Formats: sequence, structure tokens, C-alpha cells
Amino acid sequence: MTSVVGAARALEMGEAERRGLQAARIRGAVIALLGVAGLWAARGAFNVAATFSFWLLEQGGAAWSITTTVGMLWLVAGSVAIVVGGLQAGVGARFPWRQSLFVLAPLYVAAILGALLDGKVANMTGVFAGSLELAVPITLGALAGILSERSGMLNIAIEGKFLVGACAGAIAASITDSAVAGVLVAVLCGMAVGYMLAWLGIRHQVDQIIAGVVINIGAIGITNFVFLRVLAKNTWLNTPPTIEKIKIPVLSGIPVVGPLLFSGTPYLYFTLAVVVFLSYMLFRTRWGLRLRASGEKPSAAATVGIDVIRIRYGAMLLAGALAGLAGSYLSLSSAGSFQMGMSAGRGFIALAAVIFGAWNPLGAFGAALMFGFSDAIQSLMSILGVDVPPQLLNSVPYIVTIVVVAGLVGRVRGPAAAGQPYTQG
Amino acid sequence: MRLELKEITKRFPGVLANDRISISVDRGEVLGLLGENGAGKTTLMNILSGIYRPDSGEILIGGTVRNFHDPHQAIDAGIGMVHQHFQLVPVFDVVESVALGAETVTGWLGTFGRAAARRRVVELSEQHGLDVDPDAKIEDLPVGVRQRVEILKALYRKSDILVLDEPSAVLTPAETLDLFKIIRGLTAGGTSVIFITHKLGEVLEVADRITVLRRGTVAGTVKPADTSREELATLMVGRDVELLVSKGAAKPAGVVLSVKDVLVMDDRLQMAVKGVSLEVRAGEIVAVAGVHGNGQTELVEAIVGLRTIDSGEIVIAGENVVHASPRRVADLGVAHIPEDRMRDGLIAGMTVEENYILDSYHRAPHSSHGWLHAREVAAAAEQGVRDFHIQTPSIGTIASSLSGGNQQKVVVAREFSRPVKLVVAAQPTRGLDVGSIEYIHTRLVEQRDAGAAILIVSTELDEVLAVADRIAVMFDGRIAGILEGASATREAVGILMGGGV
Amino acid sequence: MTIWRRTILPALMPLLAVFTAFVVGSAFLFITDIENLKHFPGDPLGTILAGLANIGKAYSAMVIGAFGVPAKVAAAMSSSDPKVIAGAIRPITETLVASSPLIFTGLAVAISFRTGVFNIGVEGQFILGAMGATVAVLVFRDVPKPLLLILAMVIGTLSGALWGFIPGFLKARTGAHEVITTIMLNYVAAQLVLFGLRSEFLKPVGSTLPISKVLSTIVRVPLIFALPAIRLHYGFVMALVMAVLVSWFIFRSTKGFELRAAGFNLMAARYAGINAGGSIMLAMALSGGLAGLGGTLEVLGTVGQMSNDLSSGFGFNAIALALLAGNRPGGVVAAALLFGALRTGGGLMQVKTGIPLDLLFFVQALVIMFVAAPALIRSIYRMKVQNADGVAAQ
Repeated sequence: MTSVVGAARALEMGEAERRGLQAARIRGAVIALLGVAGLWAARGAFNVAATFSFWLLEQGGAAWSITTTVGMLWLVAGSVAIVVGGLQAGVGARFPWRQSLFVLAPLYVAAILGALLDGKVANMTGVFAGSLELAVPITLGALAGILSERSGMLNIAIEGKFLVGACAGAIAASITDSAVAGVLVAVLCGMAVGYMLAWLGIRHQVDQIIAGVVINIGAIGITNFVFLRVLAKNTWLNTPPTIEKIKIPVLSGIPVVGPLLFSGTPYLYFTLAVVVFLSYMLFRTRWGLRLRASGEKPSAAATVGIDVIRIRYGAMLLAGALAGLAGSYLSLSSAGSFQMGMSAGRGFIALAAVIFGAWNPLGAFGAALMFGFSDAIQSLMSILGVDVPPQLLNSVPYIVTIVVVAGLVGRVRGPAAAGQPYTQG
Repeated sequence: MRLELKEITKRFPGVLANDRISISVDRGEVLGLLGENGAGKTTLMNILSGIYRPDSGEILIGGTVRNFHDPHQAIDAGIGMVHQHFQLVPVFDVVESVALGAETVTGWLGTFGRAAARRRVVELSEQHGLDVDPDAKIEDLPVGVRQRVEILKALYRKSDILVLDEPSAVLTPAETLDLFKIIRGLTAGGTSVIFITHKLGEVLEVADRITVLRRGTVAGTVKPADTSREELATLMVGRDVELLVSKGAAKPAGVVLSVKDVLVMDDRLQMAVKGVSLEVRAGEIVAVAGVHGNGQTELVEAIVGLRTIDSGEIVIAGENVVHASPRRVADLGVAHIPEDRMRDGLIAGMTVEENYILDSYHRAPHSSHGWLHAREVAAAAEQGVRDFHIQTPSIGTIASSLSGGNQQKVVVAREFSRPVKLVVAAQPTRGLDVGSIEYIHTRLVEQRDAGAAILIVSTELDEVLAVADRIAVMFDGRIAGILEGASATREAVGILMGGGV
Repeated sequence: MTIWRRTILPALMPLLAVFTAFVVGSAFLFITDIENLKHFPGDPLGTILAGLANIGKAYSAMVIGAFGVPAKVAAAMSSSDPKVIAGAIRPITETLVASSPLIFTGLAVAISFRTGVFNIGVEGQFILGAMGATVAVLVFRDVPKPLLLILAMVIGTLSGALWGFIPGFLKARTGAHEVITTIMLNYVAAQLVLFGLRSEFLKPVGSTLPISKVLSTIVRVPLIFALPAIRLHYGFVMALVMAVLVSWFIFRSTKGFELRAAGFNLMAARYAGINAGGSIMLAMALSGGLAGLGGTLEVLGTVGQMSNDLSSGFGFNAIALALLAGNRPGGVVAAALLFGALRTGGGLMQVKTGIPLDLLFFVQALVIMFVAAPALIRSIYRMKVQNADGVAAQ
């Protein structure tokens, strides 16, 4: 209320502009300060080499590397930050600062990485490939989150769907001795859980947060139970055929890009395809238009004859399918069997990716890559014996999400009606 | 006739909302549908748009009987509704908003044919002089333009009967003039328009024919050329049932509430109160009359400390309360009976007793040192229930299970339970039965006679005339005129409410 | 009639919810009883009977595990041998030990739900409280013991309160959804604890496990009975006291009144002059503080050593528990005793019949579901809405 009134005092639109300018100045100052800190860090770091190498085709094969110094990295990052900060403060709110972060962030990451490695050689193809693999379940989970929330259903049950998918997938694949059957069953189970969430939220008007909690707790309980009671004693039920990497002919022969994008599991290819496909479906088709209308203002959709409830059920089923698929990835591709609690919070990281990616498939994929990158860096560090507490890197996605939700770095806005019960007619 | 509604009757529990209403509108004609709040206009339009089904009567379009089971069928029959509360998705752009639900698609994925839709929107916008930027986001558009987007929505669906529900309620006078121009353009092209309003001036200016509704029935149908504001006002408010409140003459004493040149903005940052000055003295009842949405809500919120004013001065009992919190204002001896009591006045999930102390729980004797005194609270609540004849099984009953009238009584009892210097009551009798209305009015008069200053905000003419010692009529954020309660006539108040003369 | 409406009806739905959840749980027990089901093609009836018998065995093991063997208890009555007495009452004291943290976390969730805020972060507040207390004990190890205990409890409570205040503050000031922020803070708390337990200062010399030095040799919450192997400590008494205090606070204090008013209807609370943002922050800090104190007593009373898995889902159990209790402190105690009994009884069930304790998580999820969707229970038992005026009984 105070903010509304405060804005009113400056009369008409002037206040919003003034605030925008003020925020821009603060932002500019902060970025510039980061730049100064970067330059400060550059002093005396010019004698420390920073080498990033890239495998061209396969691990241990021919490599190509860039060598510079940590000081140089800091110098570049710091200078760019000072320029960006200056522009931001000078130009004001119209300056595309979000986009500039995409330039700034990698520079800083490179500099910090160089500083941490302290002269050791980092193989980046491995890191990037690792990021992509780690990003797969997070992206699929995030897409599930985007679909449900865009249709107006809050979805904090992604974690639970992962577990159910992973467990069901492993068992089905073991019984049928077919990984494909495992994937199908995982997808179906995911859909069943998605349907249940929708049914509780829509039909029974259970608070969508509570419904999500129910599913998460229930999924942990039931999958742990099944593992301990059934799978632990009957290991034949938990030795599924796995889904292996497939090299795409020709394309996988492209240096660096080949091993990154064209030598992965089918999951990777599917995920990339779904990101593009869903972006198109959400923003370019009638289905997407109606889905978004249901999540933003269901009453407006209903007055033009759109069946909001049906749309929401559909979205929840699709979301369940994607999350179940991600679950099957965990047990059938990444680990090779089902383990208790194997989703390990990735469902909540997916939720973070939804928010960080501003409810946009491409954005969520970017966020998932970023989270995957922080994971991959962590394993790189431990391989190279660099002593960075993994807990700090592990916390990054969560802290970043809090910062984003709190609007500390520009507010992102979710679908307006997500989480609100809707009754037709 | 393009559209005829014949003998439409619709009954809700306890209310006869529409009683054998017949209206008609011809091709290229503007029908003005005039009536007070609660006259049955909205019910009638909900029937027309397929949201409600009438108990009896029929709808004829182009001479054939049509029954609408859902809004879709009404849309298909060519009826385009422009709701008072816009049904637009704020984050969509104009093209998306207009096409939603009537998209043309290509390919097996159902790709939305945006280019074609955009072309149609531009075409329609130019053809009817709507001047809408097809690529603008809805939330960035001013209210007047949003309304034109709603009109575009109807035109996009090839509606030839356009229903505008209180279209000017949210518009500035300049925007209203633009709207009239658009309406004339539409009718020249053959569209029929039903224009629902309670503003006399507007209906006289834009309508070809005026049907006046009063208490669910048709009070008369007239042509603008053959009528006058006075006649319309009489038709609209009627002369029948007079609410009687026995009260003596007011004995006004010192000024308790003084509002000077106050400007207040609403939530959308539009100026809602545009320079109001008003004084209320101890021992008098001042009623702010006027059609809903003319700034009364914002004025009341400003007085009780819920909304900061933009400029001007509000003094209550000698203290400037411009920056005071709601608690501080209440502590000055201001009782506030809010307009939407279920939302703002009462906590439905709490008991009668708890609601009774909602704004005095922090003071002796209800509490001390941060702890509630159960016995004192219960005694006070019992007293309140007895004094105000609140029908409740016990003071421990959850408020939501009481009837509307008794809920209102709980609010009134609470507000009058402490020493009161000023009473601010917004729509204090909305939705109540006659007995409860009389009861509340009597209590207000009692407070007046006990020396309190009373400010009532009401859209009900009957109420205003029955209880007020002075009547200030608000129109478009300003006081259109102040009348003496004793000598004020319905016609005079009605004309001022309609923004006239 | 009045007694029916006042006491039995409100308790009926939760009881039916628990009962139904167990019936569904039993069905799961049956269909996962692979050994038994192998005989099904040959001897269907026998399989069903054997399956039911197995379920019966499991549940009776659970009851004995939670409350003890009646014969032993009877024998202990007339015995003066501390070993006999301890053996008889151990199950029931273990149940009380298991309920203590549940009472704290249940109260924490209840107080936030009462204020209309979803504190999903009780788990994180619980372990951070325990962590704060651990650090306090090791830092101030030379302070006299009673003082040290009090100091550790204060610091533990404040750590939890801070972790609750952050999302409260963010919600009140920026509108950040507390569900998202508390979920994220749970993970940050877990990482912080892991990080802390890596430090030489906290971890036992030479250890690579995420555990702290043994604290019980420095200070511990006093035990109630001086009997062998009885772990019941005064933390349980504190939990009961806290339930009374929370009940007083919620229902008898002006602040509690404000929290409830804000929780029911933020607009009306604002109209009545209540500071809504302040209520949210206060509720979240109190909620976190209760969770933190619960964690402190768990680490300093029951376990005696901080570890990353100190909380076995107490924070998440608490959500089920608070819902089951209708957010009433008395109900929280009752529900926590029930859940505590399930945990200890489930332990014996696991040992005796090999049925994993995790079944209880699943049952809990069903309980929340049935409580949150009363229409489900009503349709199962063909119950009609009781009140004539159409208002559902609380």
C-alpha cells in the first residue's frame, strides 16, 4: 500500500520513471564496484597461468587450449564490468542490463575459476558435457513446472514425480528387460501423479501447496518403502537395462561441439527438442495462448468460452509425463538402478530453474545449464584436488533463487493465477 | 427488431431480480438501459449473455426464439458483452487478447495465425475509429483504451449486438466523449448497442430510446427528445416506499471532521478524489450520495487512514490525520463501518466475541500488558450482543455462520462499543432486510443525538433521504452539490448524482 | 448433542483420516509382500489369510514397540529392580522421546499456518537451531554447565528464529512467496550444516563423517528418570510447556490475536489497525525459533552429537501433524504422540518383520491428503455434512 501511495505522490507516471532511474543508478554502481573489485584482484595475479583446454573429439584425445593469466582474466572482467556499470548508471532504466549480465557473468566465472585453479589445467569440454548431462533432469522437471504453473497450478511436487518415475522406470525396465518399456512406465506413472495433483487441487480444492507436500512426502515414503521391502531383497527387480549414449554420425565428429551436443544420451536430444518444441507451443500456438490465459486470468478465458479446468488437467498430465521421464533418466541412464532418495533435491532445483528462467522454456534450460555447470565445476575441482567446499557451490542455485524471488535483482513475475483455486461458472 | 427480451423473470432466493421485463433494440439503434444499483440491470444482462437462465420469458434474435445455455452460444448469436470489470489478460498484447477463444489456426500444431489476426484488429480498429495499438500490452494501456479492446473483442467475433455494462464508470469525461463517438460510428454501420448506465446525462446524450428499470420492473420507455432529466430521475428512483426514520432536528455543534481540498488516487494511480472539501459537525448526519465509483470509497479510506492522500488536509477532532495509521485514527474516536463487511469489517473464521474486540483488543479492559482478559472480553461481547440484539447461539459462534444482518450488527456493535466522536459508515445497509435497515438507521441517529458526527456514504437514495441532515452528492471525484436533508427532493439528488446541472 | 458437536465431531475427521490412511497402507503392505504372493496361484485363500496375518503381526509389533509388552509392564509394577522397570517402560519413554521434536516442529508449523503463512522451512530451522546450539556449546564449553545449557538453548532458538525471519521479512517487504524461499532455505541450511561439520573446530579429530564432536560429555539436557537405557529427558517436559505457552500466546495474548486475525483475513486485520507485515515477520520468527529450540533439545538431549541427519524428516512430519491437529497446540501434542508412537513402534516393526519404517511417510502423506480433502473421507464413509446451515463444522 505504501508503495502505491508513494508513487501517487509524485503524480502520474513521473514517480515510476524516477524510481527506475534510481534503481538503475544503484545497479550501475554495484556493477561498477564489482569491476573495481575485479581490477583489484588482477594485481599480482598476472604471474598465475590460467589454462582452459578443450578436447576436440574424445576424452584424452587431441585437445586445444587457451592459456592466459588469472590477472588478465580479472582485468578483462573488471574492465567490462566498469563499462557496463557506467553505461547502466548513465543511460538509466532503458539500458539492457539483463542481457549484459550474460556477457558479464561468464567473464567473472572464468576469472574466479582461474583463480581457484591456481595454475592447474581445466578441461572445459568435460565440464560443459557434464553440465549438459546434469541439466537434463533439471530441464525436464522445470518444463513440467512451467507447464503446470503457466496453466495456473502451482507445482512443488516435481521432486516427488522424479522419485516415482525413477522407481517405476527401474522396476518396469528390469521386469521387461527393456529400457524403453521402463521409460514408458515412468512417463505413465508421472502422469498418474500429475493427475492426482490436479485432481486434489481442482476437484477437491485442496490448497495446491499442501497437495504438493502430500505428493512429495508420499513419494519419498512409497519409493523408499518399495526399495527396502521389495528391491533390496529382489535385486533382479532393480537391475534395469540402461539407456546408453548414442553418437550421431557425422555431427558427433565436429570438434568440441560434437562431443558436447551429439554424443549424449537420447534424453539429451529429446530434452533439447522439447525445449524448442514447448517454446513454440507456448508462445506461438492456440493451445499455448489458451494455456497462458488460464494461468493469468482464468475468468477472462472462461468468458470467451475456454474450458479452463480441462486445460489445467491437460497441462498437469503433460507435466507429469515430463517429470516422470526425468525420473527415468535418473535410474535408467545416470545411475543404472534405483536408489533411495536419488532425486536428491533436483526437483526443487528444477523449481528454482522455473523461476530463474522466468517461466520460459529457454530460460529454464539456461538456468538448468547454469546449475549443472556449478555441479560440474564442483566435480572438476574435486578431481583436480582444489579445496573448495562443495557446500558453497551446492548452495548457489538455492540462494540465487531466493534473490530472484525476492526481486533483489529485478523482479520476475509468475503466472498471476497460479496457486489460486478456480471454480467454473 | 434485431433483439427482443420478452417478459423475462428471474428470481433469486428472497429477491425478485427481474419481474416480467421486456426490452428491445433495433438494428443501428442505441438502447439506453437506465436504473439505480439493484434495479435488475446486471441480472438482465447476465441472462442475455448466457450466464443465467431466466425462470420465464424468452429471448428473440431476429424474430426467432433462442435459449442460451452458456456464454458461447450468446457469443455465436452475435451478442458481444463489454463487462464492467474487463475480462482481459494483463500480460497479453492487444492482438492476443482480442483473438483469445476465437483464434484462427494453421498447421497440425495449431499455430496461431497472428499476422491475420493482427490485420483484422488493425482493420477493425481503423474502420471504427478505435485507435488501438495492436502490439501494446494490455497492462500498459489506460482504462479507456482497454475498454476499446473489449469492444474490439466483440467486433472481432462479428457481434452485431453490443452490450456495454456501465461503460463510463471507469472513464474520464473526455474518454466518455470518445466512447460516444465510437458508439455512433458503430450504429451507423448497423450495430445495435445496449448502453447500461445510471447516469442521466449520458443516456440522454447517446441513446435513441431509453428503458428505465426500477426494482426489477420496467418503469417506462421514453425517447430522449420527449423527456427531461427530471422525468428520468423520477422514473429511475420512483416515489413509492419511503423509508421512515424517526428523528428530531439536528443540533450541530463543533466541527469534528474537516476535509480540505483533498486529492486521492485509486489503486491504478488514477485521481479518484479530485479536490473535495467537507465538514461534519458533532450532532449531525452528513450523507455522501452518489453512484458507485465516483471517489467515495477512496475518500472514506483516506479519512480512516487506510489510504494516504495526495494533497490537502484531513482534521479529525482537532488532529491532522494525513499521516496517521488506521489505529491512530480509530483511537481518536472514529468508528468505521466498511463497505465490504465480509472482506474488510469482519473476520469470518473468528468468533462473534473475537470480532467484537477486533479493534479494541489492545486496550483496557480487554487486555493489559499484552494479555487478553477473557472474562472482561466475554462480558463486553455479551453486553454487545444484548444491546444490539444480535441473533447468535453464543458469543463463541463463528461469525460466518450468522446471517448477513447479524454480521452487520456485530460490526456496528463493535464500532459503537467505544466512545465515538465520528462515525464513518460506508453503505451501512447494503444487502440488509428492511428490519435490519431500520435498526441500523436508528442506531446512527442515536449516536448523532449522543453528540457524534456521522458521515454516511451511500448509493441508496432512499437511505440518504431518510437519515441525512445534509446531503453531499459526489460525482466524478468532486462534490457536485450539498443539499439540506429536510428540503432535498429525490429529483434534485438524482440530478446531481447523474452529474447534472 | 452438544458433546457430539463440540468434541467428537471435530476429532472424528482426523481419526477417520488416520484410520483410512492405515487401511490403504495395509493394502500396500499386502501387495508388496512378494514372498507371500508367490503362493497366490496355488493357494489364493491361504495367501490372503497369510498376508492379513503378516499385516496383523506388523501392526502388533508396532503397538508393542510403541507402548511396551503388557506382561512386562505388569511385572515391573511389583518390581524394584531398575533393569526390569527400565525394560518395561523403555518403549513408552522412547515414544515420548520421539514425540518431543515433533511437538516443537508441529507447533512451529501450526503458528505459521495460523498466521496464514506456509512455513515449509521448519526442517531447515530445526537443524540450524541444533547447529547453533552445537557451536555455542563448543565455543562456551568452559562456562558452568547450567548456564551453558541455557546459553545453548538461547542461541539455538535464535538461530532457528533467524532462519524463519528471513523468509518472513522477504514476504512482508518484497512479496517473495514464502513457500519457495523456505524450500530453498532448507537446502541452504543443509549445506551450511555440512559445511560447518567439515571444520576442524566442530568435527571429531580424524573424522571424515559429517558429525560433530560428542557434546553429551560437555553438557546435556538432564534425564527425567535415572534408569539404565532410558533416554527420556526434560526436553519432553519443555515441549509440553511450550505447547501450553504457544496455546496461551495464540489464544490469550494480544499479539497472538493479531496473528490469528491476519491469518484469517489480511484485509480486515489491516482495517482494524493491525500491522500485517509485522505479524508475518513475527510469526515466521516465532515459528523458526520453536523449530530451533526443538533442534537444540534433540541434539543436546536425545542424540548428544550434531550430525547432518539429525532430523529424520521432523520438519516435514510437522506439516502433516499440524494439519491433523487443526493447528491447535493441544491437537499438536496429541498428534505428535501418535506420530512418535508410530516412529518407535515402526522401529520394532522394522526389526521384527522387516517392514521398512518408510511406510509411515506414505501413511502420513495419506493422512494429510484426507485431512485436506475432507470430501474424500465423507464420500468413503457416506457421511453427510452435519450442520443444517451448510457451514462445515471445523
